[in-house]
Amino acid sequence: MSRGRAMAALPPPRSTWDAINPLRMLGELSETRYWMYLLLLPSALLITAIVLFPTVYGFQLSFTEMRLNRPAGNGAFVGLKHYQRMLADPIFWLSLRNTAVWVTFSIVIEFVVGLVAALALNRNLPGGKILAVLILVPYFLPNVVAGNMWALMLDSRVGVVNDILVNIGLLDSYKAWFADPNTAMATAIFVEAWHSFPFFTLLIMAGLKGIPADLYKAADIDGAGAFAQLRLITLPMLRTIIAAAVILRVIGLVNSPDLLLILTQGGPGRSTQVLSLYAFQNAYSDFNFGYAGALSVVMFVLLMLFAWAYIRLSKVNQD
Amino acid sequence: MATLSIKGVRKSFGAVEVLKNIDIELEDGGFLVLLGPSGCGKSTLLSIIAGLEPSSGGDVIIGERNVNDVHPKDRNIAMVFQSYALYPTMPVRRNIGFGLEMRKVPAAERDAAVQRAAELLQIEHLLDRKPGQLSGGQRQRVAMGRAIVRDPDLFLFDEPLSNLDAKLRVEMRTEIKRLHDRLGTSIVYVTHDQIEAMTLGTKVAVMKGGVIQQIADPQTIYEKPANMFVAGFIGSPTMNFLSGTLERSGGTAVLRHGEAMLALPGLEQDVGAYIGKRVVAGIRPETFHPGEGQGTLTGTVDVVEPTGPDTMVILSIGGQMLTARLGSRDRPKLGDTMTLAVDTAAINLFDPDTGDRI
Amino acid sequence: MAQTRTGSNLIWNIVSYAVLIVLALLSIGPLLWMLLTSFKVDDDIVTRTMVYFPTRFTLENYIKLWNQSGYPVLVINSLVTTTLTVAICLFTGTIASYAFSRFNFPGRTPLMLGYLVVRMFPAVLMIIPLFIVMRNLGLFDTSLGLAVAYTSFLLPLFVWMLKGFFDAAPKELESAARIDGSTRIGAMFRIVIPIARNGLVATCVFVAIAAWNEYLFALMLTSSTGSRTWPVGLQLMVGEFQLPWGMLAAGGIISILPVIVLFALVQRVMVAGITAGAVKG
Repeated sequence: MSRGRAMAALPPPRSTWDAINPLRMLGELSETRYWMYLLLLPSALLITAIVLFPTVYGFQLSFTEMRLNRPAGNGAFVGLKHYQRMLADPIFWLSLRNTAVWVTFSIVIEFVVGLVAALALNRNLPGGKILAVLILVPYFLPNVVAGNMWALMLDSRVGVVNDILVNIGLLDSYKAWFADPNTAMATAIFVEAWHSFPFFTLLIMAGLKGIPADLYKAADIDGAGAFAQLRLITLPMLRTIIAAAVILRVIGLVNSPDLLLILTQGGPGRSTQVLSLYAFQNAYSDFNFGYAGALSVVMFVLLMLFAWAYIRLSKVNQD
Repeated sequence: MATLSIKGVRKSFGAVEVLKNIDIELEDGGFLVLLGPSGCGKSTLLSIIAGLEPSSGGDVIIGERNVNDVHPKDRNIAMVFQSYALYPTMPVRRNIGFGLEMRKVPAAERDAAVQRAAELLQIEHLLDRKPGQLSGGQRQRVAMGRAIVRDPDLFLFDEPLSNLDAKLRVEMRTEIKRLHDRLGTSIVYVTHDQIEAMTLGTKVAVMKGGVIQQIADPQTIYEKPANMFVAGFIGSPTMNFLSGTLERSGGTAVLRHGEAMLALPGLEQDVGAYIGKRVVAGIRPETFHPGEGQGTLTGTVDVVEPTGPDTMVILSIGGQMLTARLGSRDRPKLGDTMTLAVDTAAINLFDPDTGDRI
Repeated sequence: MAQTRTGSNLIWNIVSYAVLIVLALLSIGPLLWMLLTSFKVDDDIVTRTMVYFPTRFTLENYIKLWNQSGYPVLVINSLVTTTLTVAICLFTGTIASYAFSRFNFPGRTPLMLGYLVVRMFPAVLMIIPLFIVMRNLGLFDTSLGLAVAYTSFLLPLFVWMLKGFFDAAPKELESAARIDGSTRIGAMFRIVIPIARNGLVATCVFVAIAAWNEYLFALMLTSSTGSRTWPVGLQLMVGEFQLPWGMLAAGGIISILPVIVLFALVQRVMVAGITAGAVKG
């Protein structure tokens, strides 16, 4: 039963048991040319079923009318109706703008803080390992806990942050950070940045390890100061890793409404309403699955555009 | 161009003393080679001269200036690293001109200097490529270009040829020598390869365990090594060490090893104090020649290695193995008894306990 | 700036220490606050004047939480779901990761990218169909169903992380094993996987932490009767009662204990691999 052997045939079975021994058959199987595809099969099947299929279905949904609370007319193909409605929907545009603010500021803060932490940790100072562990903790906390923790600390009546700020003199009285439309977004961004900056630290530190120390010695002799070295040596060599980190993080920020769901639910007065939240609410509060599907498709397309544009602009492929 | 003066430099990493009281004087335009096995401290010393590492004591003086507290960029030095350390994201042009760029030299002047350096090293055609697109030898030249473009007082080379294959190594060695002859800048060169040391240096400092074993011009080191370590480190194949007792016979000193006796008529060393004591005689393989003469040794042929231009013969003399370099025509057979004459004027005697030259 | 290289080195070291200490405090501070809060009586939490250190230590928050809101069940559900998720990823992902690392075959690059691109699909987009499908399959509100849903975004991550570890194991080892008579599958299980064991553990822990912490899918694909997980349970407490901060804090502390323990296990692999000395030239 030769099925394209990859190398010379294995010794023939020595007895009947040997001939039907499943382990042996597996061994033989592993020598065939298609072994690698077999290895990939289980996970590929799983992903196709769990991801691709629902996604295709979701795309489809965006072109159909599906309201769980109005059974009549469900499943009817309505073409671009949802998309047209979207263009005219002021909340959509507001969500889009908020998403841009939410993502941009979060990423910038996370990147800068993450980079600074990574650079500091890379100096291998005594006690650095302990500090590294402490600094990485926020990333591994669940959104539920991180969100509620800060909600408590920033609470308008019992929040310790308010207390400290008042005692220092930066505030006159306790502030309702999440209730004030002017500060809600900024506060949420702060919590998000606190939560995810270690992600950048982790990736950047891995990247820093790949930069030879000799480069910095040569730069010292050439007369480049610390900031010049950062700008001309460190950052260019981290380009690929930073791109990967930024893209992954942007995907996470655009796609999941978790933190905002816990902190603000889009309020107060839609000041923190982002696309993912809006889609979520359309699906699970208004039960308008069709429109929610359309919003999600728009999110997906925006992400792909962003990833493509970023990779091209950052000249990553030139390296 | 400047002189280099190292006075009493020490270096310790915690409890480990890596450099112990180093004193070196290098004349203007000289080529100093720091030679030694790994771990001897030569690279550390180079880093201290560069200012990349602080010393634990002592002074480094470049020109007339004590540069102990001076930042590397202000010492007017340039360095070529073993790994070349070229900036991977910049084209060759910018790599070479980087030092000038950091010192705010105007672009026109910078470009001209880069062009001159590139022409000198024959890499003008590579100026717009990135280091990743270059071969090892080309990267080496770019690294040298970066060093010479600033016209510094002192060049520092840290084992620059180690990463090249044998043929390239010989080529680049000649390049470096040519560069030194043309530019006349003082050079400090670190290597573990004694051939590089011998061919390039005007002054060689042999180091071991953080201590300078001997510092002199290459010829002196080769002919009159200060101790057995230096003697064994320089020269390929290694110097032979024949131990025996020193006696006096007639007016000359004689080395006795068991039955073998080697007369040493032309000996230049003053060995009066060692008569009757054990000594070690250092004999270079090429000082043997077949035949008779005043000083001869007889032994059994153990191994014969024809190398093309020479024949290496390993003789067993009273239990000790000696290597002799003979001509290509000399082909003794294994097991033969052979008598070789020695150029006794070239023999060095060492004290077996201290290893020092007598 | 300082004159010497050592001088400027020193200044940057001091700056680094300052930065790191501030960041460490900022990172750990909220956790410590939550810990303190969990031990406070309600009067200490909801007061006019701020009480920093508990006037008296109490475990009543923990006790209330454990007894009242069915918390133990939630924790067990989470445990089951997490274990199932890790198991699925382990069995399907390890061999896939191995295939990507070891073999070069037509379609390799697009397939690898494909595994990654699926992460770009918005969760909201997928939950709706998943909701419907799971309902139809009878997997709605089951730990298995949730675990399968988790693998949708955790499996690609698993495969990519593990591939990095597999790449680090030299290929010559398998060649040597096969010359010695082992089959490919034998070499895979007996040689390579043991070498990548540390990476395997680290990746599993990463996935476990992510599954344990997950909120959105659990919110949508479980309900109170069957397999609700602890994040959903905790968040629902916020809506139900009048912000029971003490119990919330206690719930938070209990629930992140496994995370802290797991994190402590892997942090050595991660942090050590990352802080262990700059590359020398």
